[in-house]
Amino acid sequence: MLAKLEHVTKRYVKNEGLRDLTLDFPSGEVVGMLGLNGSGKSTLLKLMAGLLTPTDGHITVFGGKPRTNRAQIVFLGETDVLWPWMTPADAERFMRNLYADFDAKRFTELLDALEVPRRKTKTMSKGERGRLRLAMALARNAKLYLLDEPLAGIDLISREKILSSIVQEWHTDETIVLSTHEVAEAEGLFERAIYLREGRLALDVSAESLREGGKSVVDTFREVLA
Amino acid sequence: MKKFSTLVWLEHRRNWLWSLPLMGSLLFWAWGIKQVLIMSVEERLGIRAGLLMGAITIGTVLLVMMIGRIRSETRNGQYQVLLMSPPSGYTHILARFTYAAGVGFAYFIAIGFLFWWILELAGINFDTRSLFELILAMPFYGMSVVVLPILAYTLLLMVFVSAYRISGKGWIPGVAMLLGTPIAMQWLSEWIARITWTLPGWQVFANAPTALAERFGEFDPELSVEIGEVLHSGLPVEPMLVMLAVTAALLAIAGRIWQEVEA
Repeated sequence: MLAKLEHVTKRYVKNEGLRDLTLDFPSGEVVGMLGLNGSGKSTLLKLMAGLLTPTDGHITVFGGKPRTNRAQIVFLGETDVLWPWMTPADAERFMRNLYADFDAKRFTELLDALEVPRRKTKTMSKGERGRLRLAMALARNAKLYLLDEPLAGIDLISREKILSSIVQEWHTDETIVLSTHEVAEAEGLFERAIYLREGRLALDVSAESLREGGKSVVDTFREVLA
Repeated sequence: MKKFSTLVWLEHRRNWLWSLPLMGSLLFWAWGIKQVLIMSVEERLGIRAGLLMGAITIGTVLLVMMIGRIRSETRNGQYQVLLMSPPSGYTHILARFTYAAGVGFAYFIAIGFLFWWILELAGINFDTRSLFELILAMPFYGMSVVVLPILAYTLLLMVFVSAYRISGKGWIPGVAMLLGTPIAMQWLSEWIARITWTLPGWQVFANAPTALAERFGEFDPELSVEIGEVLHSGLPVEPMLVMLAVTAALLAIAGRIWQEVEA
């Protein structure tokens, strides 16, 4: 098992992010993490990345604490986190020297495929910055990718490029956990859909079984979370 | 080593807008020194030395502000990128500290040169050894006793507050640390005072009395107790050793807490 959550609860100062969540993530899955705003998707991904510590319960990723094994995890947060002075060349230097699994050749190919301009991020559009961040993330040869809203606030063309890159770069031994509001656009990617509602697990189902029942991930989203 | 140098490079890219004006401010202090034109040589020297003490204080404050810029990264999310990167917390902390300390050393060495210049303007000609002591030994001593511990403390405070920001009441540990600091400082300074001079002093400016006597006639150590003490006994090494150890301890704690920070 790549990652395991056992009765995980995360409380913040004023509210509760997640409550008593138990989930398994085997290797080789593309998982859709779905829910409305405030349902706990980002909290869950941050807990799996080791950026948050559970208030109760246990999380193991690659058999240990997430923070300890962070070198094997790719986390793409929802906030626009690049330094404004950073160019794609700076990003490559940063990634190449800090991450042993970073593939510089693949990064260049991704920059070209995603049409990322070679200039400072402060002069890029939000979509361009999002594509650069995705290129940085997908150029690593990791086994677990946690992508938190990589499509949020990004134009349609960029969203299509991002989704097609995720599809092309995915290898069968890698697990991708993707949280998104663009459920309809990303539906084709998902093998499994986890629906969260107010910090609790509402439904954990394989996309295949939904389709066999004549439903789509989007239909179920409306049904479970509306 | 590549990870460390990359993080130092990152520090430089993040902070050059602070470090460059800091170094540039030296031109302002040099200009200020030239503006002091009163008649008495001693008064001129005193005022110019005072200006440079102001430069030291302001430089230290700017270095503290530079190294403490963690909160803006926390707000903007860049902290996430750093926390997720493979280098250990110790490496991250050391890289931040090394950059700030490096800029600090460059700045205080330049201040040492300005001190040498105001002495020259006052007609006091230091020999080569005294010059090196002024531009290297004194900045190293001053940095070790005062500036480096302050930088390490700031770093620890910022990491400490960040660690409890999200799922705890972030201001409580910060306030607790700030309230506890004067007590710890009092205890530390009393202990340092007790052990000072158990080791031989660090002899500096051995040739300075000659230079002062050449300029002002026979140098009377009674004129300035502090200067006379330094020339006679040297600089006490215990405060330097203790504060270097305190700096290392603060950095080690900050590096450990880094592993617990939430973002």
